Parts: sequence; structure tokens; C-alpha cells
Amino acid sequence: MSAPRTNADRLVEIGVQAEVAHPTHSGTYAVDSYGRPIILPGMAGVVANARVGDLVFPWAADHLEPGVSAGNAQRDRYQALQFLACIGNVVRVVTGPAAGAEGRVTGKHAFVLVDFPQDALDILAPGDVLLVRAIGQGLRFLDFDDVAARSCSPALLDGMDVEVTDDNRLRVKIAAEVPAFMMGAGLGMSSEWANCDVMFTRREVIERLGFERVRLGDVVAMHDQDHRYGRGYRAGMLAIGVVAHGGHGGIPGHGMGVATILSGPRARFELVHADGANIRNHLSLAA
Amino acid sequence: MTHAAINDGELLRTALVGDVTSPVLGVNPYDVTADGVPFVPVGAGGICYTVAAGSPAAGWAADQVEPGASIANPDAAANEALLLHACVGNGVAVRTGAAAGTRGVVTGKHEAFHAYKHVLVHLERDALEAVVPGDRFVVHAMGRGMNVPELPELTCHSLGPELWAAWSPELVNERLRALVTRVLAPEVVGMGSGRVSGATSVALQSGADAALDGLRIGDLVAVRDWDATYYTGYHEDRVTIGVVATGDSPVLGNGAATTILLSGPATAFDLVADEGANLARLLDL
Repeated sequence: MSAPRTNADRLVEIGVQAEVAHPTHSGTYAVDSYGRPIILPGMAGVVANARVGDLVFPWAADHLEPGVSAGNAQRDRYQALQFLACIGNVVRVVTGPAAGAEGRVTGKHAFVLVDFPQDALDILAPGDVLLVRAIGQGLRFLDFDDVAARSCSPALLDGMDVEVTDDNRLRVKIAAEVPAFMMGAGLGMSSEWANCDVMFTRREVIERLGFERVRLGDVVAMHDQDHRYGRGYRAGMLAIGVVAHGGHGGIPGHGMGVATILSGPRARFELVHADGANIRNHLSLAA
Repeated sequence: MTHAAINDGELLRTALVGDVTSPVLGVNPYDVTADGVPFVPVGAGGICYTVAAGSPAAGWAADQVEPGASIANPDAAANEALLLHACVGNGVAVRTGAAAGTRGVVTGKHEAFHAYKHVLVHLERDALEAVVPGDRFVVHAMGRGMNVPELPELTCHSLGPELWAAWSPELVNERLRALVTRVLAPEVVGMGSGRVSGATSVALQSGADAALDGLRIGDLVAVRDWDATYYTGYHEDRVTIGVVATGDSPVLGNGAATTILLSGPATAFDLVADEGANLARLLDL
């Protein structure tokens, strides 16, 4: 078995400006899946105590974005950041007391999610300027025309240790498999935009489907999902993604966000369950 | 067997304003189909003379075509209120323009992510030919706050008392016996999952359930294992009923936009499949 051949040597790397986003609030309550009014943290800003590799669910949070949430105040620049940033990209802190610290893009939601070493997370603040070294959009498999790569940096693909099997399939290590009926908010959006929520908003559903131990950063497979040109249901297709945001007790139709990295016919993949199928390992994220 | 009653004595009738819209596009007009083919989306915004309630949802060279006149309030916050308060079946008066004085009916509501939110109005043929973008409509909104006192576990959304009367569900053995054209699997719901239930629509992904074959605009449909009490999302053993507001879509995760009417526990419903459960017949459009 060997690594799949790609056009990684033809990709260009672009420096994209971002900044640590500040949380915002509508001033009203949302409603959780039990019908209770909620105001919970999780989106935007810096979450210093929940990181990639931690469990998804035991947090009093909604749309929990681990680490730093990076955005851009200018709408067109923000769109470029959203589309160009790929999981695994290197990010450098440009201003503030953490200047010089280096992190990695770990997911996408309304913001680009970045993990930094703990000593940087402890001092980063909204408004700090970041530079994202964006590379990965345009990545193609030279021998798998029907499998699309989306927001997947060459570094992530290398780290995942994807291999071509003897019967010409892509062997991908995964932590879990998600059935199509659980896919919620994020369907219908572009493949590169944010992520798609798995509707884990009630503890009883998480337990019934056996997802209590799923972790932020886990690589998961989504069945009957076509995420090549947008995201939607399609029998016989498969999407592979990275768990980007967590939190339970959230708004119905939302839940655990999974950012798309690969999609193609189910038959083109060999799925292997592996304990360490998490981007904390694949990207060797610093403690 | 009796017709189920609503709290009609408690409901307010209010006036909200919407103007006939015109389609919008970006500088780059191309969207992409599920198969990766670029196309120019046609059908949302403005006035559509071609399709109406009762027309097939699929088979148009269009993306979520909106039947009849598509209206919105130019003020974003006022539009949110228009979208929340307008209910399917509500009466509409044309206030300005060549069709001033004629009347229409709300048939649905439709949202495109980060783009627009429209209320869809059916007009008689002569009025439809006469209205133009910018004409002002007044929606006589009624239905927000509606409930079924004998089944308090049900939540009503975008369901006008006019449609309720025409649909006339019955109370049988403490269940709501309601006519719908079909009952769908939960994985049909695509874009719109997680939206506020009352305001706009969710998309039914074509191909996700064979029962979508033959779907028409205006069809009342039920989705099992789906809840829309506050927001829309998967919830085993609950049922949501909606009305198909627009045509189908070639975009992944999209499809016929469906406006939510009613949601509650599966045990509160006795659903009866009936092809007559379409707005064209129920509201005599």
C-alpha cells in the first residue's frame, strides 16, 4: 500500500489576514432541545480550557469552538478567509503579547478555528491579529477523479496516513460513523463553508447512538452524504470530516459540527476504526 | 368525530406590509448542481407566471421557483416580523399599482441562506399579470399564537385559521386526524434544519425518500421523527407537518422549500394520506 498521489506540489500558499473574533449576542434567549431558554458561551473569542482532543459533550456550551475563533471584520476578506483556510494550515500570531506563537487550523464554523499551545491560549485576546498560511483548496487525487478534497491541507492528508489499498480504495482511519438522518444545519451550504451539524442536542440520542466518547478533532465518516459540490443527502455517497465544534443541550437541528475534508462514492473508501483518529495526533498539535 | 377547534377567539388580526420583490444575483451568477455543473439560478424573487399551487415541484429549469408574487418588507427587522406573522391562508390586499384593490392569499414562505426571506402570495390571473415589482401588498396576518385547546401538545406555526378551516382536521380518540399527501422520512430535511420554526422554510432533499415522487407545490406533507416546536430538528417520535412552498432545487442539500404548519408528538396525530391535501383545492385557488 502507498499514499495516494495528489497535486500537492502544484498548490499555492497564501498569507491571509485574520483576527481573534469577539463574541457577539442578540440580547435574547435561544431555546434548547428540551424547550428551555438558554444563553450559553462557545462561539467566537478564545476558549482556553476546551481544546482539540477533548471530549465533545461534557461542556455547558452551545456551538463550542475550541481554542481561538478567527474572523475578519471586512465581509469580503472574511469570505476569502472562510474559503481559503484549510484544516492543518499554519497560523501565526502577529500582534499582542502572544505575537510569534504558532498554531494550526483545526476546523471551520462561522469562524476559522485555530489551536495554539496552552501558554499562547492563556494570553490571546479578541482583536489580536493572526496570519493564516492558507494552502489546500484545489487539492486533487490524481488517481481518484471521483473523490473530492475540501478544506484539507496536504499536511492533514499526510498526517492522516491515508493509503491506497490493493483493490484501489482509499483507506481512511476514522473514530466514528454518522447516519444520514442525524445530519442537520449545514446541509445545502458550500462544501468549503463552515461545517455540517450532527444533531446531537439531547443526551439520550448521544447515548442511544454511542457517541458519548467522541472528541473534538476526531475524523468521522458520514454515510449517504455527498459533500463534493455542496452538502446533501445522496444514497451510496460518503463524506469524511473533522469534528470542529461541540457542546450539547443546544438548539434543535444543530449540535456537533463536522467540517468536510473528503467526499466520494462509498465504494471508493475503506473505513478503519482507529482510537487515535484525531487531528491532535495527525497534526502533532503542541500541548 | 368532531372538527378540532382552535382558540380563534384569542387571535389578533394585524396588518403587515410587503412589497413585490425583484430577483437578485451576484456578479458571478453561477451556482453549482449536485453533479458539479454550473447553472444560473432562476425562480426566486419577483413574479412567476408559470407555476402555482398544484403545479409539480420538480421538472422546472429553476431553483426553488416561487409561485405567484414574492413579497418582502424593505426594512430587515420589519421583514422578520412579516415573515413571522404571515400565515398560510391569510388574506392579502394589493394596495398600490395597476392591480390595487385586488386580493390574494399567502401560500408559503421561503428563505435562502444569507440572501433573502420572502412571503409568497397567490393572485388571480388578471391581478398577477398586472402587478409589478415595488407594488405594495398588505397581509392581514392571523395565526401566530394559534393552538388546539384539546391537544395542547401541538404547536402551530404559519398556519392561518383560514387554512385550518379548509383543512378541517378532526378529533378522533384524542388524536388529530389530518389529511396529508405523504409521510416522509427524517433524512429528507436538508437546508433549514436548525432554523426558527415559525419564520420561513426547510428544504426537502430530492432523492432522500421515494415518497417525494410526484410532489406538488401546495402539498401538505408530514415528516416523521422531526420536531418544530421552537426550532426544526431531528426528534424521534415527533411529527412535523408543512406545506410545499416552492419548486425543487438542483443544489445539494436543497429541494422544495416547505413552510412549517404544525408539530407535536407522533401519538397526537392520526395521519391520513390523501392527494387532495393541496392548497389549490383546499383554498380553491
